[in-house]
Amino acid sequence: MSAPIPETTQAVAVPTAPPSRMDGLRRFVTKPTGALSLAVLLLFVLTGLFGPLFVDRPGGLGTDILQAPSASHWFGTDDLGQDVLAQVVWGTRVSLTVGAAASGLAIVIGTALGLFGAYSRRADAWITTVTDLMLSLPLLPLMIIVTAIAGPSIATLTVVIGLFSWPEVTRLIRSNGMVVVAMPYIDGARALGAGGWRIVTREVLPAVVPLVVVSVLLTAARAVISEAGLSFLGLGDPDSWSWGRIMLNAQRSGVLSTAWWQTLFPSLAILLLVLAATVAGVRFNDTRDPRLKDR
Amino acid sequence: MVVFTVRRALRAVLTIWIAVTVTFFLLRLLPGDPTLLVVEGDMTPEMQQALRVQYGLDKPMLTQYWLYLTELVQGNLGTSFRQLQPVTDIIVARLPWTLMLAGSAFVLTILLGIPLGVYAAAHRGRRLDRIVQMFGITGHALFVPSIAILLLVVAGSWMGWFPIGGAIDPDTRGLAAYLSLFHHLALPLFSLVIVQLGPYALTLRTNMLEVLGEDYIKSARGRGLSSRRTLWKHALRNAILPALTLMGLQLGTLVGGAVLTETVFAYPGVGRLIFEAVGQLDYPLLQGAFIMLAITVVVANLITDVVSMLLNPRIRT
Repeated sequence: MSAPIPETTQAVAVPTAPPSRMDGLRRFVTKPTGALSLAVLLLFVLTGLFGPLFVDRPGGLGTDILQAPSASHWFGTDDLGQDVLAQVVWGTRVSLTVGAAASGLAIVIGTALGLFGAYSRRADAWITTVTDLMLSLPLLPLMIIVTAIAGPSIATLTVVIGLFSWPEVTRLIRSNGMVVVAMPYIDGARALGAGGWRIVTREVLPAVVPLVVVSVLLTAARAVISEAGLSFLGLGDPDSWSWGRIMLNAQRSGVLSTAWWQTLFPSLAILLLVLAATVAGVRFNDTRDPRLKDR
Repeated sequence: MVVFTVRRALRAVLTIWIAVTVTFFLLRLLPGDPTLLVVEGDMTPEMQQALRVQYGLDKPMLTQYWLYLTELVQGNLGTSFRQLQPVTDIIVARLPWTLMLAGSAFVLTILLGIPLGVYAAAHRGRRLDRIVQMFGITGHALFVPSIAILLLVVAGSWMGWFPIGGAIDPDTRGLAAYLSLFHHLALPLFSLVIVQLGPYALTLRTNMLEVLGEDYIKSARGRGLSSRRTLWKHALRNAILPALTLMGLQLGTLVGGAVLTETVFAYPGVGRLIFEAVGQLDYPLLQGAFIMLAITVVVANLITDVVSMLLNPRIRT
């Protein structure tokens, strides 16, 4: 249940359609879910990049307190009279930054360890043990203490989430790397005198790159959820907006049941972004599998 | 069988030891003087030094580590900075609530997930199967506080079906107290189950599809057994063990979810305690809470493993 990849690749009957000549990206986009998820991701990136140019940074005290959504405040206002739409727009930037950066960190660590484990049998025993161990611990409470002590900031959140998100990447890359390492062309490379480093970086790594792309999307999706969770528990950067913080504010000021707009809109933002990243990852994984080409 | 149990138990101890060690060094290597967190306002260097001695922070790190480990083995997790009580006492008072919440979520997810997964696999392409597939992907995108707040607002505040906070009505006695307990448990429990169920049922569906392709299923069908009997007797039997193991692997996530739901519903478990400790920067309490939760998860995993083994006739002797 960690990553929804095996489910989608295995559970499908093989259609006997003639092979199409469409390239990967077009195949990806022609499925409505693929195109839609990309469009949603793009929308969020544009909002994160340019939204703050059009919307004032929320702050201070406003006169319209706890207003329901209206023409002047599309997402309503909170108990300080701040515009929730502005908070969500500014929060987009943080969610995307932390999601992307933490995912990048986790991917680098996870891929390196996964490849290393797949290639070297001696290292593998250690890497598997540590990976299983990390996966069996309650990671959210662990992230909570480390963030609390290191002092909440965007950098802390990124590093902490990245450092605790690599095990699932390692597991995925390792299991697929094992298949690649057992292939005859690796023996061929070895027979030609290639060293371990060269084999791993030049022969095995390219073979697992598509899977790395999938991992980037799925890990980023999980990182966004983790960031929202930590911010919701009060561990977000105190100087910047975040979707989790908007919801925490609603909880703290005791307006959960009255000001539904203050939690609904950040919730929808989280759901849409994470869902889009997950679906894009799963779709990408399916398109790269030739058996599923023309589904 | 005994060998298996002993090996698993040793691994559990090793896991806990590593968790303790990693947090110990992580917290001490991070910047920030914990004595500054104890008392706000002005503190003379002498007072700081006295505090360091009191908490053993003046000793070399390895000595501190050894002291921490020996105290931990005796059940002492240190003293809370804010509540000035032993961390162990504070957590032990809260732990049963979290155990009840996470435990019920564990059981309920399995009880709902197995029939859903089996049904979806047996009726591929039907409406329920498509719902399971969709819910299986969407489940990864659900944010626990969002679901919890949605339930709180709709089923708690607007409809008034369930209480929106706390764990029990203190004025109730006897049977009424139990009813009140379940009544308060419902919404936090549903929040966790909703988030867990989709991906769980989808994975079970995949496992079940594999089982349904096995020869012994075909031979059962060939002998003229009804497909319902084949499915629920023969195939399910082989799918239940992975189902249990799979849920065991989710325990860590489940506990993380419990921290978030408890926060929303002001449920008096360890999760809510963590939320409060974060606000007060009470870091011995945070560390203790993590260690206790880690121990809980590891022990629960051990129990899951041993139960799976007892249920598995291939290992049982």
